[in-house]
Amino acid sequence: MINKANVVIVGGGISGVSIAYNLAKKGMKDIVVIEKKYLASGATGRCGAGVRAQWGTEMNCRIAHESIKFYEKANENLNYERDIDFKQGGYLILATTKKEKEQFEKNLKLQNRLGIPSKMISSEEAKKIVPYLNTEDVVVATYCPIDGHINPFKATDAYALAAEKLGVKIYKYTEVLDIVIEDGEIKKVVTDKGDIETDIIVNAAGGYAKQIAEMVGVDLPVFSERHQILVTEPVEEMLGPMVMSFSKNLYCQQTPEGSFIMGRSGENEPTDMRITSSWDFLDKMAKTITHTLPPISELTVIRQWAGLYNITPDRQPIYGETKDVKGFFLAVGFSGRGFMVAPMTGLLIAEQIMGEENSIDISSLSLERFEKGELVFEPSVV
Amino acid sequence: MRIENHPILEFKRGNEIKFYFDGEEIIGYEGDTVASALHAAGVRVLGESVFKHRPRGFYCAIGNCSSCLMTVNGESNVRTCITPLKEKMTVEIQKGKGEIL
Repeated sequence: MINKANVVIVGGGISGVSIAYNLAKKGMKDIVVIEKKYLASGATGRCGAGVRAQWGTEMNCRIAHESIKFYEKANENLNYERDIDFKQGGYLILATTKKEKEQFEKNLKLQNRLGIPSKMISSEEAKKIVPYLNTEDVVVATYCPIDGHINPFKATDAYALAAEKLGVKIYKYTEVLDIVIEDGEIKKVVTDKGDIETDIIVNAAGGYAKQIAEMVGVDLPVFSERHQILVTEPVEEMLGPMVMSFSKNLYCQQTPEGSFIMGRSGENEPTDMRITSSWDFLDKMAKTITHTLPPISELTVIRQWAGLYNITPDRQPIYGETKDVKGFFLAVGFSGRGFMVAPMTGLLIAEQIMGEENSIDISSLSLERFEKGELVFEPSVV
Repeated sequence: MRIENHPILEFKRGNEIKFYFDGEEIIGYEGDTVASALHAAGVRVLGESVFKHRPRGFYCAIGNCSSCLMTVNGESNVRTCITPLKEKMTVEIQKGKGEIL
């Protein structure tokens, strides 16, 4: 292990490796990524891996849209010899209430102004996309053809390999134990495999972001909540889009390999870092999906698992350098969507570290917004 | 192949059950699973792998491994090693991942 680096990134999920890649591409030398287990072992590899441009604020639409544009060409952009399996079958978002419909109308206006090709469709039109969709409680739906889903392990692998080609060192099965600061400045990272001197640390630790920030005395207003998910046996292609509904509390996709992956939010999920699976989830998920996409009830569940959403008070990420500790950058609190915005997370944090102007203004996402009470309102959060 | 005489165990064979494997009539017995009846009748290939189309046969025999998935009475992905044999079942080798629509 090297003992000196310009930048140490804590966390080998998609955000961490994307930041490393973008930094290296901008010419930064001696970049290290430290991962406690294997790459994508945390939230990245446990997520539903959907990517959508259908958001409700201009900033989020632009971050997500630009990320999708990158993912569309990720195999070429990253010289990846395999395939990140981007199935760009769109997102079909179901509205079940009039209020939801009104919100979607506002969102679409914004999205279309920003060049996102989303549209409102009737439940009959939705049935043309998914013929077996149960539309009895669907008021209206929105559909955006550029949305879709990706294999999160392969996307992480693609970034990691591209970063390593540019000289980034990735230390797996290495745990950050402490961070030493002197006079408000970062001195070194202490790991179970040795110490690394550095001036700059990026906290991209996902579910463990709070614990990493505590090492430098920064109190993040985040908590990690368990979210569960399951996968079925594979069958021939029968679902193009990611089907999702805020009010029905559901998302469901069919991977290119044929398995269905689906999740929903629980009512009383633990926030103590547990990632166990519950019977309650299996029961409610089965009922939800059977109601919305009835034929799926025929499929056998192969397994279920869980991951951590790192959640902030306004369910928006925290980006940028902390005021109190110079050189301590945050890319945390993604509240369940770190994967879909990772290409822009990487670019934006790399720009900040290099002292460049951000290509999308994310100053409203700084940690200080919570002190000032300037929370960001985003209506399209799951 | 069926065990006729065993030094310790005694097999009480049930009634004959007629079923169809890829159109061919086969006789099994009450108490058989679909896969055990096929195996006894000398059928070794129950399916094929999805990508390379290699033969797949009777393997775990407890419903875990997916090696014996077949189309039974038109239903895809049936674990034949744990599915009791019934009169006039149609059992077919499945091509691909199967469909539920």
